Amino acid sequence: MRTAHPFRPPPPDRDEPLLDVAGIEVRYGGIRALTSVSLHVRRGEVVALIGANGAGKTTTLRSLVRVVPWSAGRATFNGVDLSPLSTEEVTELGISLVPEGRAIFPNLTVRENLEIGAYLHRNKQAMQESLEDVVKLFPRLGERLAQEGGTLSGGEQQMLAIGRAVMARPSLLLLDEPSLGIAPKLARQIFEAIRAIAASGVTVLVVEQNTRLALEVAARGYVLRTGEVAKEGASKALLDDPEVREAYLGGH
Amino acid sequence: MSWLLNALAQGSMIALIALGYTMVYGVLRLINFAHSEVLMMSGYVAFLVDDRLLGGYQHGGTRGVLISTAVAVVAAVLLGVGIEAFAYRPLRARARGATARIAPLVTAIGVSMLLQSVAQLAFTATPQKFDPRLAPPVGYVVLIAAVVMAGLYALVHLTWIGKAMRAVSVNAEAARLMGIRPSRVIAVTFAIGSGLAAIGAVLYSTTQASIEPTMGSSIGTLAFVAAVFGGIGSIPGAMLGGVLLGFLGELVKFTSFSGMKDAIVFLLLVLVLLFRPAGLLGSARARRSSRRAWRGRARTFAPSTGGIRRACAGS
Amino acid sequence: MKRVPAWVLVLVGCAVCVGLDYAYSATVAADRGMKFWLMIAVACAINVLSATALNVVNGMAGQFSIGHAGFVGLGAYLGGAVAAYVAVAMKIPLAALHDNLSFVQSLIIVPCVVVPVAVVCAAVGFVVGLPSLRLRGDYLAIVTLGFSEILRLTVLGTVEDTAKNPITKAIAALGGSLGYRGPKLDGDFVGIPSVAGPFWTVGIAAFAVFLALRLKRSGFGRALRAVREDEIAASAVGVDPARYKVTAFVLAAAGAGIAGALLAIKRDGPGIVSPANMRFDKSFEVITMVILGGSGSVSGAAIGAVLYTAVFYLSEEALNQAARAGVGFLANVDAAALRMALFALTLVIVMLVRPEGLFGERELFEKKRVAR
Repeated sequence: MRTAHPFRPPPPDRDEPLLDVAGIEVRYGGIRALTSVSLHVRRGEVVALIGANGAGKTTTLRSLVRVVPWSAGRATFNGVDLSPLSTEEVTELGISLVPEGRAIFPNLTVRENLEIGAYLHRNKQAMQESLEDVVKLFPRLGERLAQEGGTLSGGEQQMLAIGRAVMARPSLLLLDEPSLGIAPKLARQIFEAIRAIAASGVTVLVVEQNTRLALEVAARGYVLRTGEVAKEGASKALLDDPEVREAYLGGH
Repeated sequence: MSWLLNALAQGSMIALIALGYTMVYGVLRLINFAHSEVLMMSGYVAFLVDDRLLGGYQHGGTRGVLISTAVAVVAAVLLGVGIEAFAYRPLRARARGATARIAPLVTAIGVSMLLQSVAQLAFTATPQKFDPRLAPPVGYVVLIAAVVMAGLYALVHLTWIGKAMRAVSVNAEAARLMGIRPSRVIAVTFAIGSGLAAIGAVLYSTTQASIEPTMGSSIGTLAFVAAVFGGIGSIPGAMLGGVLLGFLGELVKFTSFSGMKDAIVFLLLVLVLLFRPAGLLGSARARRSSRRAWRGRARTFAPSTGGIRRACAGS
Repeated sequence: MKRVPAWVLVLVGCAVCVGLDYAYSATVAADRGMKFWLMIAVACAINVLSATALNVVNGMAGQFSIGHAGFVGLGAYLGGAVAAYVAVAMKIPLAALHDNLSFVQSLIIVPCVVVPVAVVCAAVGFVVGLPSLRLRGDYLAIVTLGFSEILRLTVLGTVEDTAKNPITKAIAALGGSLGYRGPKLDGDFVGIPSVAGPFWTVGIAAFAVFLALRLKRSGFGRALRAVREDEIAASAVGVDPARYKVTAFVLAAAGAGIAGALLAIKRDGPGIVSPANMRFDKSFEVITMVILGGSGSVSGAAIGAVLYTAVFYLSEEALNQAARAGVGFLANVDAAALRMALFALTLVIVMLVRPEGLFGERELFEKKRVAR
């Protein structure tokens, strides 16, 4: 089921997945949020995770960066078992999460927000280069470097959150609902940027409610339903799937 | 003119100590009641080193005070970081639910009481005094405090650890996603706050107050009020609050209520809290943080509300 | 009817209290050992009352008050003053006033003290509780601390010879740091009459515990718990958080006030009301009792109070005896500080090992609730 990637050269020769998640279960108190989620992401791939509200998409991402612990199952990144690690250690491995609701630092300036993104490297010159890359990616941020993060619009804040994550130079970028609460035009811009980030060699796993937008950018997708993977496949196949169309694409 | 300088000196000493409260509150949302005891203990360390080891004014002179201040700063840093590691850190790991809000506060009060009683056991309740000739001129007090605070400002705004501190104080989870280790940041915060308290303690005890086990609760409480005054969690707020309290204290001296200076300070504190709950400089941020707390809670319950929503949609 | 056993219990309790009271007055002169135990019983009862009251705010309503000693102190000053004036009005001779008063006299004086103290403290509690509508958590705690410190520092701040205007003069009449010793009669301080024996202290404390238990199990208690867990959710189901929070403060203040009054007028009491009653460590003591027992648990708070008080007095006695027996180093140790250090250490350890206290929110003979 490896389909030709529409926007990228064929994946590198190493075949083993960068991220391999096997049967993860997450509980909040007595409630099971994820019953068993298994998925994998190969190097250089863009993979979408779609599903309805409460299906467990956000929980999946948050458990991957160890913000919520999983009670069963296993996940490896680059062959490293993630279960004994803390959030910071996972981040140090090269996984960056752009959290839902963006979680930028509102009373820090845009520049400071981005600088903190590069905290892992703490090197003036490398940081300067990353900063230039981000500004190239999101020219709007470049115009607002001295502004406080909290004064940005929703779409700009999302750009800032993505930019901040890119500053860490991750090999895997996790995005949680990047289009949430953002004007359609800006959402499209943001997905263009995600495409560009992926083109620069970063592997991307994106959670979206805007199924069409996500599947347009991703090569493959997983459909999550009540804490389980209900369907998986190439984006094209999913877009054509009558059930998916019915449930997530509405009458469009 | 000398009146102005006095008020400023008073205020800057209060501010030095208030910074410790405000910084810890910033990163942990915890009122570190034990901070006042760090202040008291470092006062004792400075006094004992200067008086017993360096021979006080006769032999040590100003140099002796400087050395003992350095020792006191080190001791305060160790004590502050130690308190954090042994009393607060284990609690953060395990307390949850309704106890998660109150347990740290109770522990902080407990540690404060513990240290105060230990000091009483070790040093007795008899007040100790620095030789009055060791007191730095009022102008120096202001200068020292100003330099230290400028240094702190630079540290917080220009260094990596300072940025990490600010990030953790705004949103610890997001900071962890950047690879920042909150436990390290918290330890550094305690270290800096305690060090500042030690400097404040030496300035205080050389210029006016005697060193006794309860000095923490009197001076520390004043500093704490200053921190709340300016908006607890806000560094410039603590500086402003300290200076304001300094002026207030000097002003009350002119009225017939001079004996009630501290009562008036508390009355003002209550009024400030009632009409501007987040203090003078902390308003927007505190409001945001409380909003975030609500959002965080909503997220914790997300799976269940999702279920409810689905159920509603289904019916 | 289910209520009957409870009332029977109350009656039996009253009988026991009266018995204790007579035992107390009868043995006062005769048996030092017996007196010691009864003294502890009185102290325990007063602390049980105080802790039960604090538990309503801190445990049941989840509002963190650290100014409880302010109410206790207010009750002590007010109760002491009322008792002294009533005693003077009863024309009890000065010499008799300095000794314990009789049980019959207590039947007149104590109700005269308890009722106004409860009313005034409840009113003050209402005022102090109002900020709870605007403030949460730490900020509210600061306000309660501010309240008790304002009271204490105001009393401390003025002494007679420096008092210049009517306000400061009135405050100076409270005696400043020397403490309040009642009005002057023939140029001599009347002192606070020592009148409330086990009948009153144990009786009132038992009644308070009983009341608190009923309260917890009533709709009011459930509403308080709802407010504690989630104010927004509580108001969404029709519980008005404002009303319940303020009511909790009022109840706690009234209870603390009565405890303070009893502290001032208890048998073999100090005959003086000291501003030290309002110090922060007194609030801390009560918090320790409540937390030790498990905040939210009525029997937990009561047992915490008894444990704390008993250990407090027994350790003091033990230290005294050890010092008398010539255990050398103990003679030079500050016993109060040592005890405080041990209590504080215990509290910190309890917080680290069992943050919910001995009982959690459960009651003494209640089964553990199934985890949600």
